[in-house]
Amino acid sequence: MFQLTATPASALADDSVHIQVTGLPPFQVVTLKASLKDEKGNLFQSKAFYRANEAGEVDLEQTLALGGDYVGVHLMGLFWSLKPKKAFQRLLKQDVMNSPFWVTLDLYDYICFHDSATVQPRASQMVQRWFSGPGIQRKQIREGRVRGALFLPPGEGPFPGVIDLFGGFGNLIEFRASLLATRGFAVLALAYIAYEDLPDKLLEVDLEYFEEAANLLLAYPKIQKPGIGVLSLSKGAEIALATACYLKQVVATICINGFNAVSNVPLRYRDLVVTPIRSGGERMQVHISGAVCYRHCHGDPRDELNRQSVLPVENAQGCILFIVGEDDECIDSKAYAEQAMDQLQSHGRSCGRILVYPGAGHLIEPPYAPLCFASWVRGFSWPSLWGGVPAAHAAAQEHAWGEIQKFFRQHLIQTRSKL
Amino acid sequence: MIQLTATPLTALVDEPVHIRATGLTPFQVVSLQASLRDENGKMFYSRAYYRANEVGEVDLERDSSLGGDYVGLHPMGLIWSLKPENVLTRLMKKDVMNSPFQVQLKLYDSDLLLDNKPTSALKASLTLERWYVAPGVTRILVREGRLRGALFLPPGEGRFPGVIDLFGTTGGLIEFRASLLASHGFVCLALAFRGYDDLPLNPEITDLEYFEEAVNFLLRHPKVDGPGIGVVSICKGAEIGLSMAVHLKQITAAVLINGPTFTVGVPHVYRGQVYQPVPHSAQLITINALGAVEFYHLFEETRAESSKSFFPIEKAQGHFLFIVGEEDKNINSKTNAELAIDQLRRNGKNNWTLLSYPGAGHLIDPPYAPLCFASGIGHVCSAIHWGGEMIPHAAAQEHAWKEIQKFLRKHLIPTTTSKL
Repeated sequence: MFQLTATPASALADDSVHIQVTGLPPFQVVTLKASLKDEKGNLFQSKAFYRANEAGEVDLEQTLALGGDYVGVHLMGLFWSLKPKKAFQRLLKQDVMNSPFWVTLDLYDYICFHDSATVQPRASQMVQRWFSGPGIQRKQIREGRVRGALFLPPGEGPFPGVIDLFGGFGNLIEFRASLLATRGFAVLALAYIAYEDLPDKLLEVDLEYFEEAANLLLAYPKIQKPGIGVLSLSKGAEIALATACYLKQVVATICINGFNAVSNVPLRYRDLVVTPIRSGGERMQVHISGAVCYRHCHGDPRDELNRQSVLPVENAQGCILFIVGEDDECIDSKAYAEQAMDQLQSHGRSCGRILVYPGAGHLIEPPYAPLCFASWVRGFSWPSLWGGVPAAHAAAQEHAWGEIQKFFRQHLIQTRSKL
Repeated sequence: MIQLTATPLTALVDEPVHIRATGLTPFQVVSLQASLRDENGKMFYSRAYYRANEVGEVDLERDSSLGGDYVGLHPMGLIWSLKPENVLTRLMKKDVMNSPFQVQLKLYDSDLLLDNKPTSALKASLTLERWYVAPGVTRILVREGRLRGALFLPPGEGRFPGVIDLFGTTGGLIEFRASLLASHGFVCLALAFRGYDDLPLNPEITDLEYFEEAVNFLLRHPKVDGPGIGVVSICKGAEIGLSMAVHLKQITAAVLINGPTFTVGVPHVYRGQVYQPVPHSAQLITINALGAVEFYHLFEETRAESSKSFFPIEKAQGHFLFIVGEEDKNINSKTNAELAIDQLRRNGKNNWTLLSYPGAGHLIDPPYAPLCFASGIGHVCSAIHWGGEMIPHAAAQEHAWKEIQKFLRKHLIPTTTSKL
C-alpha cells in the first residue's frame, strides 16, 4: 500500500517540508507532482521522477531525482521548480494573513509525463504554505503621505524595525514583510508607486517620503530605537541605498540586486537634487523566449560624465549588505555592488559586505519561492527577463534568508555592551 | 529625406538581403522592426537598434546593432531573429508554390522609453517577398502505389540529380526544404511517412520497403539523372536516411541532420530483417527553466547495450554527411554521430564527413529561418525544447546549407574523370 507523507502539512512558506513515499515495489520508478492555484486562478505545476530503493521507499531528503523539473537531491525541489501553466506568470501571494497557498502533492507509480484529467494519482497530500505565523498583526498604514502595511510580531517587544521595499512596478508586495515579521521583526511593507493614492508613475524619488516612513515606524510603540533597517530589491534597492546615504534613521540596509547610482528619475532630499543616469532602451536584448533582458541598458556609474549620479555610500552611518545574483539578467548587480564596496573601502569605511550567489537571478526571494525566470511587468509590452539557474537560485534564496535575518539582528538589536 | 532600401525586395528565402537606411540625422539612434504574418495568421516580430554614421546612414552589411533581438554585425539578423507572439509557434511555410512570406520592414526614430512603446511616427517602411521556390519550379502531387508526397522539378530541359527529403516525428508533408533544393537544381521528392493522407499517425513499424519504392519511383522519373540518389533527412527522418544508405545501394549521398543513428520508437524492418528500437528511459526527461521539455537524455542508459538496434553502417556504399547541432536538446546528436562514425572507423571506412556546430540546436533549417526555441508536436508534447543559441544557430544554417548542396552535387553528379 503506497503511502505519501509530507511533514509538516501546515507550515510557513519559508519552512521546509519533508516528503516521503513508502510501500512501493522495490526500484519502482514514480512521478511526484506538485500543483498550486494562485489567488487569480493561475495554475503552477512541477514534477520529478524518482526510483524507489530496495525497500520501496523514496525520501526527498536522500533520493536523487532522475528527471523532470530538477535532478539530484532536492528536498524542496517540487516547490521551487513550480512553473506557471501560462508562460510569464509570477507567483505572488496577495492576502498574506487569512489564507495559505494550498499545494497538492500527487504520486503516480509510473513516469507520468502529461497532465490528464482522467488519470487519478495513486496517492495525494495537500500542504499549506502560510506567509504569516500565529499572532502576527497587520495594520494598514495611511498616515500622512505614507502608504503600506505594518506587520507586528506578537508580544511586548521591542522589535527591530525594518522597511521592506520592492521594485518599481507598483502596488504593494507584502509576503516578504509578513514572513520577516514572523521571524521577530516589525516590518513596514512600504509602497511608493501606483498604490492607493500614490502617483501612478515615478517621476522622482522623494527621499522625504521614505524619511516620513522611517520616522513613522520608529514612533510606533514596541519598535526598537534609535535606528531601523531596510530590506530591498531592484529599484527598491537603489532607493534603500539612498536612504542609507542620507537618512540617519537607517542603520542597517540590505540591497538585493540594485543599482549603486540614481537611475532614470532624479532623487530629491530636501534641497538636494541628484540627477539620474538614463538607461539606453536601444541596448535591450530579446531572449529566445521573447522576454527582454535590460541588463545592458543601464548607464555606467564609472563614466566621468555620470559621477554626480553615483550614491555617496561613504556617507552611510550604518551598515550595508549587498546581495547579488550573478545570473541577474535585469541588472549587472554584481558590478554595481562591487563598485559600491570599492567606494566604501577607498573612503576607509568598513561597514559594507557583499554576498555573491552564482546562478542566482534577479528575483531573490524568501526560500522555496519558485524561480521566476521571466514575467510580465505592468506598463511593459513584453515580459522582462530575470534570469537564474533553478537549483542554484533556490540554494541562494535559502542561504540569503538566513543571512538577512542575521544581519538585521546584528545591527538592529542593542546589546548592553555595544562596541 | 529618410529612405529605407532592401535589395533584392523579392528573393528566395535562402538568399540574403542588403538593408540600408539613408537621410537620417548623423549619429541618431533608429529602430528597425520586421514583422511577418504566417499562414495561420500568427504574427512574428523582430527589432534592432542602430546608430547612424556621420552622414546619416545605416548599412546592415557594415554596422553593428546596439541591441534588440540581436547585437552585432548581422545583415540578416532581422529575419532570423523573428519571434512569434505566442512563444511556442514554429514558422513553417505550408504553401510553397503560390505565395511568399511577406516581411514588413519598418524604420522608427528610436525615441524608445524603457516601456518599449515607440512614441514616434514611422519614418519608412517596405515589404520583402521571401519565396520558397524559384521561378519555373514545378510541383507534382505524388500518389503512386503507397507513396505520398510532393515532387519538385527544377525549370529547364535536361536531367537533374534526384533527392528524397525526409522530416521527423512532426509528421505530415513538409515541403519547404524540397522546394528550395529544386530551386537549386535537384529533383526533390518531399516524402511523407506518417500522419498524412492515408498514412497512419503512429505507424507500428518503420518499413524500409516504402522508402525503397520511393527511390525506385525517383530513378524512373524522366528528369532524374541516376544512377545514384541522395537523401536529406532530419531527426527521425535521419534514422530512415541512414538505413536507406545501408540497405539500398542506389543511395550514394545521405545527409543526416541531428538524427538517431539507431532505431528508435518502433521496430525498423527491411525484407525480414528487423531492428528492434533502443528502449528509452522516460525518467530521464528533463524540463528547462521555462517549462520546455528536453528529451535528449532518453537513451543515455540504454544505448550502450543495444547493438542490435544499430544499423550495419559499414555496409553502406554511399557517402554520409553528418550534421550536428551541439546544443540540440531534443536528441543527443553529437553522441549519436560519434557512435556511427566510430563504427565506420572500426571497419576501416572513411566515406563520411562530420559538420559539428557549437551553439546550434535541433532544428537546423535552410538559412535565415528563425530559431524556434520550443514548440509542440500535437500528439507528443506541447512544448519541446529544441535548443540552440540564436546567433551560432543562424550561422550554422547558412554554412550547412551550402555544404549540403556541395555534398549532394559531389556524390550525385558523375564527373567526366574517373571517380576515386
